[in-house]
Amino acid sequence: MKYEMVCGIETHIELATATKIFCNCTTAFGGSPNTHCCPVCTGQPGSLPILNRKVVEYAVRAGLAVNCTINNNSHMDRKNYVYPDLPKAYQISQFDEPVCENGYITLDSGKKIGITRIHIEEDAGKLVHEAGSTFIDYNRGGVPLIEIVSEPDISTPEEAREYAEKLQLIMRYVGVSDCKMQEGSMRCDVNLSLRPAGTTEFGTRTETKNINSLSNIVKAMNKEIERQEDLLESGGHVVQATMRYDANTDEIYPMRTKENSDDYRYFPDPDILRFTIPQDFVDKTKAELPELPDAKLKRYVDELGLPEVTAREIYKYRRVSEFLDAAVANGAGAKNTANLIIGGIYSTLETEEDKEKFNIKISPKQMAELVKLMDGKKINKNKGQETLLKMLESGKDVSEYIKAEDTAGISDAELEKICAAAAEANADAVEQVRAGNDKAINVIFGYVMRETRGKADMGKVNRIIRQLIG
Amino acid sequence: MALSKEEFEKLAVLSRLRFSDEEAETFRNEMDDIIAFADTINNAVSGGTDDIKNISENAVVYTELRADEVVDSLPNEKILSNVEGSKGFFSVKRCVK
Amino acid sequence: MRELLTTLSEKLHSGEISSVELTESYIKAIEKDNAELNAYVHTTFDYARECARRADEMLKGGNAGALCGIPMALKDNICSDGHETTCCSKILKGFKPYYDATVWEKLRAEGAVLLGKVNMDEFAMGSTSESSCYGAPLNPRNTAHVTGGSSGGGAAAVCANLAPYSLGSDTGGSIRQPASYCGVVGLKPTYGAVSRYGLIAYGSSLDQIGPLTNGVADAAMVFDAIKGVDPHDDTSVDYDFGSVAASLKNDIKGMKIGIAEEYFDGINPTIKDAIMSAVKFYEANGAEIVNVKLPVLKQSLPVYYIIACAEASSNLGRYDGIRYGYRPEHYEDIDDMIYRTRSEGFGKEVQHRIILGTYVLSSGYYDAYYKKACLLRNDIIQSFDNIFNECDILIAPTAPTTAPTLGYNGASAVEMYLSDICTVPVNIAGLPGVSLPCGRDENGLPIGMQILGRKFSESVILNAAYFYEQNAPAPIDEYEGGAEI
Repeated sequence: MKYEMVCGIETHIELATATKIFCNCTTAFGGSPNTHCCPVCTGQPGSLPILNRKVVEYAVRAGLAVNCTINNNSHMDRKNYVYPDLPKAYQISQFDEPVCENGYITLDSGKKIGITRIHIEEDAGKLVHEAGSTFIDYNRGGVPLIEIVSEPDISTPEEAREYAEKLQLIMRYVGVSDCKMQEGSMRCDVNLSLRPAGTTEFGTRTETKNINSLSNIVKAMNKEIERQEDLLESGGHVVQATMRYDANTDEIYPMRTKENSDDYRYFPDPDILRFTIPQDFVDKTKAELPELPDAKLKRYVDELGLPEVTAREIYKYRRVSEFLDAAVANGAGAKNTANLIIGGIYSTLETEEDKEKFNIKISPKQMAELVKLMDGKKINKNKGQETLLKMLESGKDVSEYIKAEDTAGISDAELEKICAAAAEANADAVEQVRAGNDKAINVIFGYVMRETRGKADMGKVNRIIRQLIG
Repeated sequence: MALSKEEFEKLAVLSRLRFSDEEAETFRNEMDDIIAFADTINNAVSGGTDDIKNISENAVVYTELRADEVVDSLPNEKILSNVEGSKGFFSVKRCVK
Repeated sequence: MRELLTTLSEKLHSGEISSVELTESYIKAIEKDNAELNAYVHTTFDYARECARRADEMLKGGNAGALCGIPMALKDNICSDGHETTCCSKILKGFKPYYDATVWEKLRAEGAVLLGKVNMDEFAMGSTSESSCYGAPLNPRNTAHVTGGSSGGGAAAVCANLAPYSLGSDTGGSIRQPASYCGVVGLKPTYGAVSRYGLIAYGSSLDQIGPLTNGVADAAMVFDAIKGVDPHDDTSVDYDFGSVAASLKNDIKGMKIGIAEEYFDGINPTIKDAIMSAVKFYEANGAEIVNVKLPVLKQSLPVYYIIACAEASSNLGRYDGIRYGYRPEHYEDIDDMIYRTRSEGFGKEVQHRIILGTYVLSSGYYDAYYKKACLLRNDIIQSFDNIFNECDILIAPTAPTTAPTLGYNGASAVEMYLSDICTVPVNIAGLPGVSLPCGRDENGLPIGMQILGRKFSESVILNAAYFYEQNAPAPIDEYEGGAEI
């Protein structure tokens, strides 16, 4: 039988606030165990939570960026379950009044993946198991999270990957999180079921938890589809379970689950007052949202005239796209800027993370000064690249490397003189060109470039020399 | 409404409590009385809304919530002062009899 | 001889006595009498002496507050930095918080002297203080009788003059009822008037800290010192009370006093008579008596138990042996450790309330119990709102009986819950209530009268209480014993 997949994704994203969701402890990553802690985030008796305003602001921003409606009234609930990484034995989360509801993300195909809700909650601490003993660090306990729940609209592993990637990029664009899957600041739980193709009833689903990279989403889903297909084909049935995917062995297996562990007994947290999110704040946040990835990509192609492949290389890193936008705003041409970034700056940034951080020594304005010389054909591409690398090294202005007289321009008469000298000095090459070896002309071009220190317009040089050679 | 043995056991698991059979039986019977007592509210008619979301009179505008400003955390020795820790961690050592 | 805070404050400020002297006299009294009464479960005498020396410095400095230098006791569920605080539960034995409850932080800053932590029902769950893991405190009026609860140790300490005042907590009557049984004054403030930060939670939407004192003006004085909004407690309210102590005027002319007959159903006739004669006294002095209806009263008990137990089942989940408190010696694994910690560490009443709370929140029962209780809670709030449109205060008994004899814990759970009928309604509605002595029964045991008011009307209810106290002194013998000053 042929099966089709039904999939929804729950994504947990750590918010980039300075403090935890219910206390003033830092959210800084790392630190010695239990040093970013206080009575509140270690669940000391008598301590009380105080909600961080920024968490609400970020959740609203995240929701608006994925087309959600914002609930003007919201409150926190307690989700009760016992686990050593949860110091109060309940997680403060949201149940029936999440901050955001009913949004969507549009895939490149135009298909919309619905977003059911986005709610705010606290992260748990970290457990280390060693030789039968358990060690607990609550530094991450109380770090604010948003949980983004998608509708079961995803039909292929590739769609799942695209959904997660778009979500990641959007959240980075609006600045609510760095969404680093490898560090756990973005984690995906994939709910997946199969049903006979063409039918409408949902099959039994499993939840694969804490997938930590985009490519593992695809791998884990393929494994799970295969597993469920085998089960169904052999006449068995899928059991609702929580699965874990091991990327090292490419295996998927059910996690040990305790019976009766699924009654969370949600109720409104009596320690935290209900809060209202006024519509004027929502409207203001919406108006102040930065340009989102899809719009940016479209603008790069349609308005800036960048080839799509180039545009994608730029837009997928928020800081890079902001750098390009700022350089363009300073008068630089988009194409030369984009080419210099991809051909020059990227060569100095080894990893994806380096590109994401985009820590470089020059400002968009400095970049624009350089690009303008290229745009005005005062220097050529090679000279531009070479100069850029020096600037990236030193952080100095382009004027440090290219003097005014270098770009003063060369009169046509002067250029003709230099070209004539070049032909004369390279008589061999002239002969070879005449004999049909066109590549030999590069030797003559090289001479001209040296003489003019790279500021000659190669189009003109080409014309003059070909005339000379006849 | 009487509480079945299975239901009682489920409540004990959720509460992380263990009862001897005898204790469980006594308590289950007592629970029946308490539940009957609690059930009296189901004869009462409540007015107004049917949604508990809307009955809390106190609500704050989000702007009155706490500002996102870091205050120093406490030293690890304090955090672990009520328990035997291990290298800065809370620890539950293997401790089989 | 009991001394009022107002008197002690004058003596300290005038230099007639020093805080160190005063503190030593209380320490001496505690060392003498506490073995019998079992009011204190942890004493902090060294710290008290240190506090007293600092208070004397402050008093010399000239701008000390009203409570500066006066010793006091905290209920064993109010945290103070470095002092054992156990909720009288085995599960928290040895627990020393490393932070101050906001109420203690305020009092400490004012120069208060902490004598120790006083006895209570385990996790404040009970009406007699007999579920304390340290054994019950005894009622100083008659040691065969209970103190009431859950703030029984505090009521006993104040009554027996082992502390000039004490802070208790009131979730369903835990300040007012022991105050009534021991013949002292107990104020349960408006929910949100006093910060709960550092109060080990029982039922978070019901809990409120308040004073137990020997006089009404004393209660106002302590309330003034601990009230106020707190950035560490979201549910605390920024309300401008002014000085409640300064507002006591000894005048009730024109005050409208509501009487709801539902509060008198099943009340011991002696108590009913005592309350009704107090009402007549008010009427004779210019108050207007209004008969009001409160039919929701009978629902308030199940509503209270459902909400309190639901919140407790969640609040008490954290006692797992990992971060503080009791941990068993042997266990199979961490899961087994958690089961053993809780099964061995919590007493039976606490375990039962956890199970009950888990039940009313669990899927399939949530709507019938927890949600229904919340909806009815709203009705109760509405009913009180309506009543306080017709009158300024309500007068009611504090408890259906006077202090029962020890061993009351043997009664059935439901019977025990029913004894809270007079006190729980104001917790459900978040209103203030004060209990003050109103005569004695045929066995010489104190009767308590309760005065209730609308939210933030502490001045109004304390004024009414003050008038009664000053003009119709309840015939309660002075307690002979305790600290000699």
